[in-house]
Amino acid sequence: MAVGLGVVVVRGRSMEPTLHTGDRMVVLRGAPPRLGRLAIVRLPPDDDGVPRPLAIKRVTMRDPADRTRYWVESDNQGLLGVADSWTHGIGSLARDQIRALVLFRIPQRLRLPGSRRGRGAPGADAG
Amino acid sequence: MLSRIFRTTEVSAHCDLPCGVYDPAQARIEAQSIKAIIAKVADNDDPDFRTRAILIKEQRSELVKHHLWVLWTDYFKAPHFEKYPQLHTLFNEATKLAGATGTKGELDAGKADELLAKIDEIDAIFKETKAA
Repeated sequence: MAVGLGVVVVRGRSMEPTLHTGDRMVVLRGAPPRLGRLAIVRLPPDDDGVPRPLAIKRVTMRDPADRTRYWVESDNQGLLGVADSWTHGIGSLARDQIRALVLFRIPQRLRLPGSRRGRGAPGADAG
Repeated sequence: MLSRIFRTTEVSAHCDLPCGVYDPAQARIEAQSIKAIIAKVADNDDPDFRTRAILIKEQRSELVKHHLWVLWTDYFKAPHFEKYPQLHTLFNEATKLAGATGTKGELDAGKADELLAKIDEIDAIFKETKAA
């Protein structure tokens, strides 16, 4: 797998409160997973053989039953429909299912010196 | 910015299990996860792993209860309860099996099996009502 930078956008709530839907993350494709860090992973297809989308998860540990495999978890464990290594049919992931290492989040609004209000139009704030 | 230079890929932090539809499959997947967690705890002496697994088991047990309650209160209607008078008891017993005296509070694979059997009973009625 070629190593290279990429940008992903988060959809869904399973990584709250760390990440929120719409967050953009810079990732390093092909980089080895690091325990405790976030990763872009390919979860196995579900019981009906339907492929799951690329997902963002936290790599929490090596699989105690197979040290070559990685355990990935959602941060928002109370969320309905949470799907991670604790979920029936998923379990730990092989190294090649971990596609990228998440490096950092791109700030929602870059507040540059002199700019009054990021990208928002004047008076657009609802609050 | 960076997103203009790089192609942006969407990554899911969403529920990848069936959601937005009524289906006992949701409760079953969580119950199967609980059963697997109980087996993992039995095989593992690492106190950190065990603590984490037990916490997850409690959370997934709550999810089972939630999924069952949604079916009970939102999907099943009065005519169903007339036709299947055992439904209320089934839901009561099933959610109890996911509770403090069941999979949430105990590390007993037998409780998980009982819970799965109750979900199957509910599922059988669910499928009959769908076919009707």
